[in-house]
Amino acid sequence: MKENNPLSPHIQIYNWHVSSLVSISHRITGILNYFLLIFICIWAGSIFFGEDAYDIFKLFLNSLFGKFFVIGFIWSYLFQILSEIRHWFWDVGLGFELKTSKITGVLVIFGSFLLTILIYSSRGFL
Amino acid sequence: MVQINLPQNSKVEKGKYFKDKTGSKNIRKVNIYRWDPSTGKNPRIDTYEVDMDNCPSKVLDLLNKIKNEIDPSIAYRRSCAHGVCGSCAMNMDGKNGLACTKPHAEIKGDINIYPLPHLKVSKDLIGDLSTLYKQYESVEPWLKTTSKTEKENIQSKEDRAKLDGLYECIMCACCSTSCPSYWWNGDKYLGPAVLLQAYRWIIDSRDEDRKERLKKVADELKLYRCHTIMNCTNACPKGLNPAKAIASIKKMLATS
Repeated sequence: MKENNPLSPHIQIYNWHVSSLVSISHRITGILNYFLLIFICIWAGSIFFGEDAYDIFKLFLNSLFGKFFVIGFIWSYLFQILSEIRHWFWDVGLGFELKTSKITGVLVIFGSFLLTILIYSSRGFL
Repeated sequence: MVQINLPQNSKVEKGKYFKDKTGSKNIRKVNIYRWDPSTGKNPRIDTYEVDMDNCPSKVLDLLNKIKNEIDPSIAYRRSCAHGVCGSCAMNMDGKNGLACTKPHAEIKGDINIYPLPHLKVSKDLIGDLSTLYKQYESVEPWLKTTSKTEKENIQSKEDRAKLDGLYECIMCACCSTSCPSYWWNGDKYLGPAVLLQAYRWIIDSRDEDRKERLKKVADELKLYRCHTIMNCTNACPKGLNPAKAIASIKKMLATS
């Protein structure tokens, strides 16, 4: 095969479906959660530096962007957990049928949003 | 390596437009990926207006019609036309499949036809599968025995049933070329088609080389690049489940 033969189009033309969407989202949320965990550590660490340091985080988290950040954080985490549960079932060889994998994929997507709403709206009760 | 964009020489350009000459009222536009190795130009998309009143039901029929009546220069592989040989595997409407079993009525809007994704193109819809064939050879797809016996090598009905859903594979490469992991690491990762075949020989009760086969495939790149994206199972025109076969290998390795 000569070097100048073109490469046929791939991701540009290939259709997305539920499982591939959940798969790429699983990766993205995984990377996000890595940084978000670091954020939590710094947030917790800020307590040691006194009230002033803690207030900066308080100000940020109560701002409009902060709220968006928190909601995004909750969603990203829930998505990862639900998707990971799906992966556990796959690891023992269950849920590979096309229909099942589609249903579980949809459950992961909707479940993550639903649980995010539930958790965020119940914050006053905690 | 993940490379989202196509290399410069692979960027697809707008090609020729073939207007309908039959005067038919039932016209569909068919966009086909074209690349001619003799010109040195970039690939292009040619558009054909096809009279659907006189066209049989499958995408392969459509291609044959274009080749016979509109543009004889178009190149594609085909042989049996009954979903058995796997020659006419291509990307239709954004999904891999066999042109001979895919009804064009299932496709809405314009019909887009590309070669199998992420392959070096030989010409038009023909991709180069030599890497995949080499990988297939590497799993040694034949029975291996060490014990010498004069008797017939018998397999029970239950053991034979384990090969169902595996032996039907026709090696059309629809699954492997639909897999993003195979796109990015196709030189090292074996891909769904070859791994399904690997499993087919691992699980065969008559084979005496199971341990070695498992050891050989247990590799970070060869096997574990499968992230269960499920594109393979979605694409398989024979309704097989390569993702499940790969998971079975992983499970065997984890439990053995």
